[in-house]
Amino acid sequence: MPPRISLRQARKLPPRSAVWVRAQPQRRFASSSADAPDVYDVVCVGGGPAGLSLLTGLKASPITRGLKVALIEGQDLQKTRLPRDASLETFSNRCSSLTPASVRNLQEIGAWAHVNTPRVQPYQEMQVWDGVTDARISFDWHTAKPLLSPRNPAQPTTIAYMIENLNTVTALLSRLEQLGGVDFYTSTKVNSIDLGADTEKMDFSSWPILTLSNGKRLAARLLVGADGANSPVRTFADIESRGFDYGRHGVVASLKLAGQGWGGPDHKIAYQRFLPTGPIAMLPLPGNKSTLVWSTTPERAAKLKTLSQNDFVAMVNAGFRLSPTDLEYLHTLPSGQEEEVAWREEHTPVNERAIPMQVADVQAGTVVSFPLRMRHADTYTSERVALVGDAAHTIHPLAGQGLNQGQGDAAALVRTISHAVQTGQDIGSTLALESYTSERYAENNAMLGVCDKLHRLYSVESGPLVGLRSLGLRAVDAMGPLKALFMSRAAGGS
Amino acid sequence: MAPARLATSLLGTLRAASTRPAIAWRQRCLYHSYDYAQPPPFPPAESAILSCAYAHVPSHGFTIDTLKLGARDAGYLDVSTNLLPRGVFDLVNYHLVTQRLALQNNVQFPEEGEQGNKMGVGAKVRKLTLARLRANEAIIHRWQEALAIMAQPTYVPVSFAELARLADEIWFLSGDQSVDSSWYTKRATLSAIYSSTEMYMTQDKSANFVDTEQFLDNRLQDLIKVGGFVGGLGEWLNYTGHSTINLLRSKGARI
Repeated sequence: MPPRISLRQARKLPPRSAVWVRAQPQRRFASSSADAPDVYDVVCVGGGPAGLSLLTGLKASPITRGLKVALIEGQDLQKTRLPRDASLETFSNRCSSLTPASVRNLQEIGAWAHVNTPRVQPYQEMQVWDGVTDARISFDWHTAKPLLSPRNPAQPTTIAYMIENLNTVTALLSRLEQLGGVDFYTSTKVNSIDLGADTEKMDFSSWPILTLSNGKRLAARLLVGADGANSPVRTFADIESRGFDYGRHGVVASLKLAGQGWGGPDHKIAYQRFLPTGPIAMLPLPGNKSTLVWSTTPERAAKLKTLSQNDFVAMVNAGFRLSPTDLEYLHTLPSGQEEEVAWREEHTPVNERAIPMQVADVQAGTVVSFPLRMRHADTYTSERVALVGDAAHTIHPLAGQGLNQGQGDAAALVRTISHAVQTGQDIGSTLALESYTSERYAENNAMLGVCDKLHRLYSVESGPLVGLRSLGLRAVDAMGPLKALFMSRAAGGS
Repeated sequence: MAPARLATSLLGTLRAASTRPAIAWRQRCLYHSYDYAQPPPFPPAESAILSCAYAHVPSHGFTIDTLKLGARDAGYLDVSTNLLPRGVFDLVNYHLVTQRLALQNNVQFPEEGEQGNKMGVGAKVRKLTLARLRANEAIIHRWQEALAIMAQPTYVPVSFAELARLADEIWFLSGDQSVDSSWYTKRATLSAIYSSTEMYMTQDKSANFVDTEQFLDNRLQDLIKVGGFVGGLGEWLNYTGHSTINLLRSKGARI
């Protein structure tokens, strides 16, 4: 086995790293014995969008390309890959809205070119309204222009891109395979993570040593936890994660609408209605497809999952049209929602063009639910450990920011690591990792806070708060520059 | 197991003649012990007059006439009502104290509920409060007179103290063992709920006081709602406090 970092690259590295490089032949010798672990610079646990984005970022940058990296993932990534010629008739129910900032990052690391573009749907407008008072705000870059000057025509009109998580993961994997140099341990679980020992060959006492289900042992200079909300890496690092359970479930489903949408194929609109039980959102996918995210109480979520396809479709239509009182009653019916909703819709005047088109069908087997919670780790880094994505923070899906936060984390960690490599620091030291936490923590904390407060604000069903929030919503809607500020924040800064 | 806070045969002990001076009966223990029985609350002579007078309350109300009738029944002269320095209020107080102390014997909790699950503290509190309210049934038509007497400025502090003791008794009997600030809030809220329900009961004309029961349940529901809100607020404040510190730490503050 040749040394992982060639000597030519080693010369570019400052003296401290060079010491380690010179130890290479010795380590290679040692690795043949059973008890010595394989030494890696970066071991990433979890092959989700955040972890893959991090590795792709590392491999795409000429500075960090030489690092020896490994990916550990419990599932077989090849099996779950999205086929190139996947039919546009079916869509996965796990979709995310990628902000322009996240897309820019994917473009920079070269992954966006591998995305299955026909399955990506940019949208240009967002309609958000209050289910109790019908106060409404519309987000599009035409109405959100500066006060006096006309809109800059060069500015893109896209708010965000709807993409299946599968598509993102597949694109990142393809790019990673193209770049090469990553040791994949897929269909492999981490059995345990322990601190190493001080041996004659090398002092591993501060290094996390991972024991895998295939019996291999890896020593990580930097262990990255991209392993989701119940992160074992976070547990190993003894970082507490705080927050609360909302007592709500998110119901997702892939839907088929009656048409392409009110704006046609070139002007897609996302809709979100705030009901007292939680927001119901319909986000556009290519053609007449849409994806649903309905946050509701666990009992109602369970009820929705048991309904027949026709009744479920009727309930989704009702969710955007009927009053909260009607909806409460509809949830108590054992079945027959279809006729009940049809009758009630006749007697409920709505502006059809202000709400999503009627749902025609739901893709079988896509109605699932998951509990909603908010968590934030106390810190993202500790000695030789960094957390990214859901391992660091879990957010309410009402603003569709979860995946984007993970992408932002990955990009920031790549910058931190490459700075550490450039300045010859140990990439696992807390000193080198400090800038990652300081760059991301405040931003993620603010986003978590905003989504949490929005959720709380709109759970109120009656009282003076309802009037105030509607007044506030209409005021923001009328003030273009303020709206532009919110939109640019939600789009990922810039 | 219901704790023995007082000798069980309360009235029997009271009737037993005692030559000890009345002052000894007024001595109060400032703590509670399972090992020693608490002394009876009234000296024997007072107790004899009051218990006889109490039987006349439904017909004669909380008045000086009732006390005189009671004294006669107990074999004393009319003038011996002077034994009771606070007059009619002592009769009201007698009702409050004896009914409070009777709670522990009147209310029994089954070891296991119907469905085999143990009764929660909340359900026990409800049962005890209801039992105490039911103890007013015989004299409820006269209870407004008693409330008027209790509202006299001289007696207000004593009345409130007795209300507090009742709330304490109910929480104690229901097995609450909190030793934090909720000890105070629990007693305060139960006092408020009990007194408002009692007030409602004086106006209640429904059969078997079902409306009063409903009123009590509604107040207890409110309490659970408020408690949930306060709990949620505490959780949120805890999170926000930590996240503020974490935020400062992430920016390099040494805290």
